[in-house]
Amino acid sequence: MDTKKFDIKKFVLSKINRKLTLLFIIVGLIAPSMAIFYFYNISVSSFSESISTNQALLLRTIAITIIILIALNTGIVGFFISRSISRPIKDLYYATKEVEKGNYNVKLDIKTCDEIEELAHAFNKTTASQARLLEERKEIDSAKTEFLSITSHELRSPMTPMKAQLQMLMEGYFGKLTKKQKDSLDIVIRNADRLDRIIVDFLDISRIEAARLKFNFQETDIVELVKSMSKFMDAYAKEKNITLVLNVDKLPITEVDPDRLSQVLRNLINNAIKFSPENGNIEISATLDRDYIRFSVRDHGCGLTPENQIRIFEPFYQVENANRRKHGGTGLGLAICRGIIESQNGKIWVESKPEKGCQFNFTIPTKPVKQIKPIKILFSDKGMIERKIKEEFSTILGPLGEVEFNELKSKNSLGRDDLVEYIDYLTELYIIPKNRGNDFKNSIDKILGYDKDEINEKEFMPCEYSEGEVVKRN
Amino acid sequence: MKKKILVVDDEEDIRKSVKMILEVNGYEVYTAFDGDDLLNKLSQITPDLILLDIMMPGPPIQDIIKNIQDVKIAFMSVVRISDARKRGLCSQDNIVDFFQKPFNVTDLIDRIELILADKKNLE
Repeated sequence: MDTKKFDIKKFVLSKINRKLTLLFIIVGLIAPSMAIFYFYNISVSSFSESISTNQALLLRTIAITIIILIALNTGIVGFFISRSISRPIKDLYYATKEVEKGNYNVKLDIKTCDEIEELAHAFNKTTASQARLLEERKEIDSAKTEFLSITSHELRSPMTPMKAQLQMLMEGYFGKLTKKQKDSLDIVIRNADRLDRIIVDFLDISRIEAARLKFNFQETDIVELVKSMSKFMDAYAKEKNITLVLNVDKLPITEVDPDRLSQVLRNLINNAIKFSPENGNIEISATLDRDYIRFSVRDHGCGLTPENQIRIFEPFYQVENANRRKHGGTGLGLAICRGIIESQNGKIWVESKPEKGCQFNFTIPTKPVKQIKPIKILFSDKGMIERKIKEEFSTILGPLGEVEFNELKSKNSLGRDDLVEYIDYLTELYIIPKNRGNDFKNSIDKILGYDKDEINEKEFMPCEYSEGEVVKRN
Repeated sequence: MKKKILVVDDEEDIRKSVKMILEVNGYEVYTAFDGDDLLNKLSQITPDLILLDIMMPGPPIQDIIKNIQDVKIAFMSVVRISDARKRGLCSQDNIVDFFQKPFNVTDLIDRIELILADKKNLE
């Protein structure tokens, strides 16, 4: 920014010069026209007897022509002067628009040697510092993910000898245990297992956040996968005498990552079993819905309040209820499911009524996404974005906006396409005027960052998988 | 005659633990702390199985196992088997199993028994 040295003396002089020139032009142009006008008046009145009417007419025509010419000149000169002033302001306006979109790489090059150049300099400095802040934020973000990954790996390695020794103790490798010793050891083992599960979940989260979660897409028979998963979970369901009911369409062979898909299904079925009453049913279905395969897992447990339906996918959020402790779990399962599904452009949401059970749904595209998106799970900025969308709803629909917003949110339909579809529907029914609908769409695009240009697309570029995934111990 | 197993891991506690488990179950156990030590031990004994951690300081594990073609190898690692596959680690014929750390003691013993009974576990 400071590459060009600023010459104060020249700046002040030129500023005065500019104003003086303008004054001179105005005075210089107005004065002759006034003079000619007076001259005409005087000449007409003093020579009234001697000059013929013809001559007076000629004189008048000349005077008027000169005045018109001068006025024209003033106009042209004025136009150029005003343009020289307005053009840098226009540049500034467009640059500000760019910055609003999030493009901090704009740089103004205005050389007018006046206040506007000064302003442009200040503008350039501000955007540069903004760009730096953005850069720093990204660095902190990736440092967080890196930290999570390293610590999880490091935390995991001591688990191996620890769990091995505990198990050896438990299995009587070193002699028979008394009942009290066994009980004590039981507690240690249970908690070691729990700690290990949390560490594994954190590892998964760090992978999802860095878009490093590896998807191994391969042609899979979804029907077979769902069947074998339900067979696998049947063993757990039997403990509570729960029946798993399968409702699977004929599905085309689809390219998915079978391990990840199983992970999500296992998690959801596991949850359903946890929250189902004994002797209940759990319905699992998979159907083809245009470009997506839609899976759902329905239980008949205690259900979820609307508030909980929204928050259930947050990390460590557990629904408060009396037997919560009994359910165990790390509190990260659904957050990871969300990460796995959303990073391959699917959607996950829950439909539920309190005391009526709930149905978890998720979709995955039939055409796999080759570019995995990083999804923020811990400390996500989702809350802020949702608040902004909610405000837009309130501006467009008034008090009804909040209700509609919550409705859409509970269906996890706050994506751009959903919102556009929703607002088109409203405008088609003439519930809201078309121009307001368009305003809404523009605001949504702005909030969700769709009107950003290429530079910002980089933000969403997935990190390249590297050997860094395997943390080397030295 | 007791079957010989060579446990290779850079972490002492893991070496010790695995050694304890295996010895109780009637195996003769040797240990090595890195790749070079492994090759060194191999010049002295011929084990029936090598339990090998794939993440150790020193030369890359691929280079080490290239030199070992006639002894069965089972990997141990905190990373998943799919990650190990991606790194091209499981291509050799004498690699017979993959133990995800932290492992289950009973499972470890059962699978080692199967391996030594000449059944290949790794699909």
